[in-house]
Amino acid sequence: MTSVPLEAGSAFRRRSRLRWLFDRSMLPVVIGIGVLVAFTVAGAVIPLPFDPTAPDVNSPLVGPSADHWFGTDLSGFDVFSRVIRAASRDIPLALVGTLASLAAGVPLGLLASGKGKLGERIMRVTDVFQAFPLLVLSVVLVSLAGRTNQWNVVWAIMITNVPRFMRLVRAEGLALREARFIEAAYAIGATRKRIAFRHILPNVAGVILVQVSLSAAYALVVIAALAFIGIGAPPPDPSWGAMIKSGFSELANGKWWVSIFPGLAIFFCVAWLNIIADTLESKIEKV
Amino acid sequence: MRATLAIPGKAAASKRIEAIAQSGPGGRLAVFLIKRITFVPVSLFVIATIAFGILYLLPGDPAVSIVGDAGSPEDVKRIHTELGLDDGFWTRYGTYLNNVIHGDLGVSFFAQEKVTTQIGRYLPNTLELILFAIVIAFVIGVSVGSFAAYFRRRYPDNVARVLITVMQSTPDFFLAGVLIYTVFYLAGAAPAPAGRMRIDSLDQAGFLLIGNFFHGRWYDFWDALQHMFLPGVALGFVYASYFAKTARASMSRALFSHQIEFARACGLGETLVLRYAFSTARTPILTYGAILFGVLVGGEAVVETIFSWQGVGQWALDGSLKLDVPVMQGFILVAGVITLTIYLLLDVVVGMLDPRVTYD
Repeated sequence: MTSVPLEAGSAFRRRSRLRWLFDRSMLPVVIGIGVLVAFTVAGAVIPLPFDPTAPDVNSPLVGPSADHWFGTDLSGFDVFSRVIRAASRDIPLALVGTLASLAAGVPLGLLASGKGKLGERIMRVTDVFQAFPLLVLSVVLVSLAGRTNQWNVVWAIMITNVPRFMRLVRAEGLALREARFIEAAYAIGATRKRIAFRHILPNVAGVILVQVSLSAAYALVVIAALAFIGIGAPPPDPSWGAMIKSGFSELANGKWWVSIFPGLAIFFCVAWLNIIADTLESKIEKV
Repeated sequence: MRATLAIPGKAAASKRIEAIAQSGPGGRLAVFLIKRITFVPVSLFVIATIAFGILYLLPGDPAVSIVGDAGSPEDVKRIHTELGLDDGFWTRYGTYLNNVIHGDLGVSFFAQEKVTTQIGRYLPNTLELILFAIVIAFVIGVSVGSFAAYFRRRYPDNVARVLITVMQSTPDFFLAGVLIYTVFYLAGAAPAPAGRMRIDSLDQAGFLLIGNFFHGRWYDFWDALQHMFLPGVALGFVYASYFAKTARASMSRALFSHQIEFARACGLGETLVLRYAFSTARTPILTYGAILFGVLVGGEAVVETIFSWQGVGQWALDGSLKLDVPVMQGFILVAGVITLTIYLLLDVVVGMLDPRVTYD
């Protein structure tokens, strides 16, 4: 069925479609991914100056010093070791949450981007979900799944992110439906599934990538907020949100290091994810 | 028989609606409002159903958490019968809907207080905080966004974009902590982050900012404003990033449009040009403001908790951590009603501001 020149043409187009990933303006993306991966791996691999789960009871609330770089908290935990170790827990958790949202949201969005009532109905249901107070809903959902297992936070991330992916894919998909090449695909008798996955999906991939980055950033904040109110890792395990919470009461007394360092770690990671999203987005706008 | 009677009634109603529609310039709006408001009970029904459904599925037993660790199985059984937890799904659902229709949202398991009373006490605090935060977010966000759009792809735009990234990447509860340390502890410029008023004030809740302003009690107004400052800025600064992004996108679209080019060609001053550009760009900004309002009901729960704000967010968060089912259901209903109201208002305001929008 497919003739040789057509095949050659599409191969050429595929290469040129990927080329934009590798030019110089993508440098922030490469650096950002590198920094995040390094941070994650560091938390799991490099030897830490202190055991992040064993408190030094003799020196609680010591300020940053040569010994304890980021100081110690109320129970004598070393803040630096905990900030680094928490990275290897919080970042993968955010990533898993985002990928789970992606896996659920994109097919649903593609399904909803079809013409007809089905799409409308799916979107009405998500609209109702969006009218809900998401943080409280997350707390309820995580309680549903069991509060002690940290992976249940993934449900909370999904409930905030799946509707975003769906809305995005649907909006882009609906716009693409009118395009000539989709019409052509219909005309030669391509199935709906083939059109959705072979023709629409590759064309919304860039937008999805931007959303992945934004969602991961948002997921990190959700994880931290939930940990802040006491949902997530069981106590001795470090997580940034819980660490901010543990030092919060001391902020008004001038002991800033317990809360500020984990907060800066969140800020640092979220900022890089946002920079990645911005760079990708401006790239897509130009192309 | 009934069906045949209903049809002429419906025809008469739609004829009357048509008459309203043609009655004048406000007619279309009136019809739109009628249609939307008739849809409100349906939405409320859906929200109430979901509120009930989600919490019905909760695996935790509220009776167990009420009696605590010291409670005996007999206590648990007694509370079960008291709360009607042993009834079947349909009985409980029916009772719930019936109560909601009659304005009875139940009694909080832990506070032993009517949920409606609690909402009446906590909601004003939250509404004032959200309004204050949105005003701050709007002012910061729209100025930064418009500034960036005006200098698009030039040096000031890059500075503004860095600022937007910083705002977007700060978790609001972390910023609240930073503000407590810097403004309260280091500078001593804000009151202690606890509650809405100074401790010896008679009023501790309600529309303190708006109420004191309209009653001309300036000392109390100033006190309420000072207490509002830190949580308001913490929320406002973070959510300003979304206003800034929306404003940057819609303003640069407006500034590069044909009518602005034409306005400049006619020799209009830059201030006037900016004003014209803003009037085409304001719809998406306003829409974002409305969405933000819905997000903040509940979305500011953590910040409320930090500042012991006694708002609905804090109340709902406490309730959901304790599995206080009536509180959670009440909050979901309140948030749903607020969101619906805001979206309805948004549609009306956008229609008045943007003549291209038609109500059909």
